[in-house]
Amino acid sequence: MSIVGGLEVFELDQGIADQLTEVSLNSSVQVRCGNSNSFMVTASTLIPLLQMFEMKGVYISASRGAAEVIQAFESVGIDVSQIQFIDLVSSGILGGTNIPYNNVHFVDSPIMLESILLRTLYILQTNQSERNFVFVDSVNALAIYNDDRMLAEYLHTFINTFRQQDVLSVILNVPDQTPPLVLSNLDLYCTDLVDRGQVVIH
Amino acid sequence: MQPAGMYSRDRCVTGVHGLDEILRGGIPYGSTVLAAGTCGSGKTTLGMEFLVRGANAGEACAHFTATEPSVKLLENIRQFAFFDMKMVDTGLINVFDMDVLYSWLGLEKSTFDLDDVHSLIKSIVDIVNTIGVTRLVIDSVTTLCYKIKSEQLIRDFLFTLGKKLATLGCTTILIAEITSATENAHWSSFGVEEAICDGIIVLGDIERMGHLLRFLQVVKMRGTSHSRAKHAIELTPLGVMLTPMLKWGAISDNVNRWGS
Amino acid sequence: MAKEIQFEAEDEEFFGKVGSFGVPKFDNEMRGGVPRGFTMIAFTDTGSGSELFAKQFVSPAEEAENTIYISTNEGQAEIVRIFQKYDWPLDINVRTIGEEYNSNVLEKELLASRYRLEGFRLEDIQRLAQTRFVDENNQDYLTEVTNEVMALGPYFRAVVDSLDFFLQRDDPARVVAMVRMLQAHAQMYRGLLFLTVSTDGLSPSIKQELASIADMVLSFQVRTIGTDFETSMMVSKFRNAPENLKILVFRVTPEEGITPETVERIA
Repeated sequence: MSIVGGLEVFELDQGIADQLTEVSLNSSVQVRCGNSNSFMVTASTLIPLLQMFEMKGVYISASRGAAEVIQAFESVGIDVSQIQFIDLVSSGILGGTNIPYNNVHFVDSPIMLESILLRTLYILQTNQSERNFVFVDSVNALAIYNDDRMLAEYLHTFINTFRQQDVLSVILNVPDQTPPLVLSNLDLYCTDLVDRGQVVIH
Repeated sequence: MQPAGMYSRDRCVTGVHGLDEILRGGIPYGSTVLAAGTCGSGKTTLGMEFLVRGANAGEACAHFTATEPSVKLLENIRQFAFFDMKMVDTGLINVFDMDVLYSWLGLEKSTFDLDDVHSLIKSIVDIVNTIGVTRLVIDSVTTLCYKIKSEQLIRDFLFTLGKKLATLGCTTILIAEITSATENAHWSSFGVEEAICDGIIVLGDIERMGHLLRFLQVVKMRGTSHSRAKHAIELTPLGVMLTPMLKWGAISDNVNRWGS
Repeated sequence: MAKEIQFEAEDEEFFGKVGSFGVPKFDNEMRGGVPRGFTMIAFTDTGSGSELFAKQFVSPAEEAENTIYISTNEGQAEIVRIFQKYDWPLDINVRTIGEEYNSNVLEKELLASRYRLEGFRLEDIQRLAQTRFVDENNQDYLTEVTNEVMALGPYFRAVVDSLDFFLQRDDPARVVAMVRMLQAHAQMYRGLLFLTVSTDGLSPSIKQELASIADMVLSFQVRTIGTDFETSMMVSKFRNAPENLKILVFRVTPEEGITPETVERIA
């Protein structure tokens, strides 16, 4: 990664974009990444969705506060105006919800899984777009708070709900930190896999 | 001719996201449904959405409010994206303050006797009949029944009111305040409402790791098969939104902990 | 420190030390009239002529705008009829609490009965749906009357006929407190205040309390003698002038209204 003209520039993983051209709207894509490449993988997934396929979407931010995520995306030139964020982290920090973005919705906690689903459905209903995606960042963060069985059940419902509604779901996870029960369920229910879990160090 | 087994009652399609699916099409017309819930569980919002959706479909609706002033109530329903003040101006949504009604009927007293109860029923039925109300909400029946001291009189009141409104084809939601919505709780304050009503919708909260999640559960609905599962609720500008509650997360922490 | 009122010398000369009761013969019996600043309480029997005396008391109306007649029993029309009959001034302030109460409370009760018996009409329902607040029913007439009298200026003349209305609806202790305030106001402003209260149902302690506040106590009585009625008034207290205590038998004449006929001294 390098800095050019104030923007961080890094090499996008073109393979992800290529792979995404193959998926349909009612697909669910499991995106595996490692600890060190998660941002690159996330950006490489989002950019084609926003720029190539001109989709709108919901970004469920469980790993970091939405403001931080937005700033990170903006620092690499990603226009997030077409994304509505559901922030599961900032309500847990006093004053955390006092941020200057109007495309951020807050849910009190990552344990309120049903609220996250309903809030996503609500945003999608208000989105004036027929091409939508839902991005979960990440299963590992949700696993910190939620029981394995409940999380597995949730992802099952989540994936099926959006498949039924022709909304592309993209689920980010770091496989070696994901509970086995959850991981095996993801493997079972997701229609596609973008596997960048093995990080190659040059 | 429709085979006998295929008969199904006409439904009042509530329009509330998910509720009609739970009820397999809506509330059977003319039913009196008890919406019993703890404080902050979304009872009033559910009742108001039921009316606004009806008004959207051109139905005349009435709301009797005893728990909060109508001015506040009307302010609150403005948040619904599908609400239009014209609904009130054109008489599709009629909001009545119970204390004004009591005052007009000379019922500004702490206890109602049989005569008072009958004049109250007569007034409500009069209003429903005169303006052709097909959807009615009384918020709350608990506040109203506090003025009726005898259990028998409460039973008479609810039964007579329900019967008369059913005859007029009016589908009614009686909102009831309860202190607990757990499995062992009563779904009414006076113990008689639940037996008389055609349906019971329970609204409450589940505590999950220190957070309260709202839920809705249809416990009983005469005249239709329905889901009896707990559903999570989200109150949004698009109205009440429902999704089945996660099975592994449908039990309150307290219940797990104490087994009560 | 007590508030001091500055009286105009011109006013002092015009109003004098005493005012008329409105009944010349009675003024004579009371050695010229009633001292300015006096509060009078009349304990009355039904039909004893106290209502007429009360009206007659305001009839001198030295300053019409500073004179008020407050009635709790009669309507405006009835009061005007009496004033016209005796050719008393019609430009004084008149407030008819009873009439107001009837229109505010009793009419509402009547309407409630109609709603209960006949139900709501469409226009009633439309009005009901647009009514967001309950009409304030609990109008505090006692406070209003107190404020109204206390707003009068120096050398005022006021009648409240009668206190029964307030004693029946309010805590009697509040009514006594109101009378105390009015008495203080009358004294300070050299006003003349005439209050009536019927003896029926009046508790001895309240009667005692009212009598002790007043500067002058009258009792209006009626009794039958053979087939006739005899009306009389007894002056049982006259501050600093016990020689005025007496019983006066009176009759009502078309020319003079209350007209004392015979006098019996009791002190």
